[in-house]
Amino acid sequence: MRQIHQNRTILFLVFIPLIFIVIFFLVPLFFVLIESFYSKAGRFTLIRYINFFMDSRNLFIYLRTLKLGLIVTIFAVILGYPTAYVISNAKAGRRSLLMSVVILPLMTSPVARTYAWLIILGRFGLINQSLKAMNLIKTPLRLIYTENAIIVGLLQLFLPLMILSLVSAMENIPDDLEEAARSLGAGWLKGVLLIIFPLSMDGLILGATLVFTGSITAYVTPAILGGTRVLTLSTLLRQKSLVLMDWEGATIVAVVMVLTTLILYILLRKLRPKLI
Amino acid sequence: MKKSTALLIFIILVYTFLIGPFLIIFLASFGSEELMTFPPKGFSLKWFHKVFTIVMFRDAFWSSLKIALGSTASALILGAPIAYALVRFKFPGQNFIEVIFSSPAIIPGLVIGFALLRFFVLLTNLPILLGLYIGHTAILLPYTVRVISSSLRNFDISIEEAAVSLGASRLKSFFIVILPSIKTGVVASFILAFITSFNNVPVSLFLTGPGVATLPIQMLVYMEYYFDPTIAALSSILIVFTVFIVQSAEKLIGISKYV
Repeated sequence: MRQIHQNRTILFLVFIPLIFIVIFFLVPLFFVLIESFYSKAGRFTLIRYINFFMDSRNLFIYLRTLKLGLIVTIFAVILGYPTAYVISNAKAGRRSLLMSVVILPLMTSPVARTYAWLIILGRFGLINQSLKAMNLIKTPLRLIYTENAIIVGLLQLFLPLMILSLVSAMENIPDDLEEAARSLGAGWLKGVLLIIFPLSMDGLILGATLVFTGSITAYVTPAILGGTRVLTLSTLLRQKSLVLMDWEGATIVAVVMVLTTLILYILLRKLRPKLI
Repeated sequence: MKKSTALLIFIILVYTFLIGPFLIIFLASFGSEELMTFPPKGFSLKWFHKVFTIVMFRDAFWSSLKIALGSTASALILGAPIAYALVRFKFPGQNFIEVIFSSPAIIPGLVIGFALLRFFVLLTNLPILLGLYIGHTAILLPYTVRVISSSLRNFDISIEEAAVSLGASRLKSFFIVILPSIKTGVVASFILAFITSFNNVPVSLFLTGPGVATLPIQMLVYMEYYFDPTIAALSSILIVFTVFIVQSAEKLIGISKYV
């Protein structure tokens, strides 16, 4: 009796939200998937994917997107690790200030944030004007619409995610452990390498997944800092759909993006089931 | 000593990289020249004035506000019962529900917008504002479900049981017993969801249409045609608001835990 009552409660709770997400999220996504794998005659086919990757331009853009993601992730680890270490060891008041500043790039309007890089890297921007003032260059360098501009923009956006994941992993490490290592004669570097690094591995893996998947699917940063000159998967998706009206081509780009992201998350779940 | 000095310099550089651009945009918005240059020449407030005279920004701001408030409220109303069911009960299909309601955060926003446009909005001729509102609600659900679930996990169930055994209905006990004690989580998810919607580009990109655009989309459109400091001025205003919200939310409820 109680069981039946409970089942009715659960159904009541879950029903409307489930209907919502099925109609407005799952079904449209499912149709995108179906459309990409079935021919007009309704037969399963991989021909669209083969054609997509046979086009060297598409393949180049796909590999570039992965490359940019990888570079951003590596820099995020290098810059994020020491920062997270300092934050997790800071006193409560300062810690709260440091954290609230770290999350600012995540909370700011992406257009505003990326526009700032346009001012710094632009033709008449901070870097070009400074180099000119120092007589190092005569004509402005082209810094925007390059892969490096996209990397810098993405790093500012996603470094906070790496720092947050690392800080929450490092917080669970008791302070005594590092002190014990030191009192037994280990230097601070050895203490970090032998204690902090292995124990914050989960944070590192989660952070790296978030940064990488975020980087390969971000839109505003490559749109503003790469333009049509340096396309990535996301700006290619927009170009194919909203500019060229090539809906079928856009569908393939969309599914390639989703599958690449999903594979990474599934791998993460297999490797570290606790994390997500 | 040496270690801490090196670390200190490193941290200062990292923080300069993270927030330095915001200071630069702020300075640039006071320049007086038509073409964006840095360092700015002259001093002028005219770009701030211009922001408020451009009708498309004003309209887009109101659309964004409506969509953000509406979709945040809906995501809370739809997300709370899911969070409650997930935390409070064990039932078949629980894992499925959990995965489904976290997936809009994993699937790229651009693809969600694209799919919704192609296989719902275009087929049903849905009004643009409604399409935006639905798309935003879908991407906010994972935030509200996650944050409310984690608050509910810290809530002592026996208090609710006490209310029920004293005669309160489950619904009533939710509002008078549970809600007050998870309000920090609710406020946190409201702030996060609101900011996420207000700033969203990828989903809105596909769902905006003639006459209706959100503020970030309108800014992107403007940037394609003009390179004067108007966008810098508008960005400065948005950044000041964000800093204010984030700082107060961090002080009051420690928002960074929930990001």
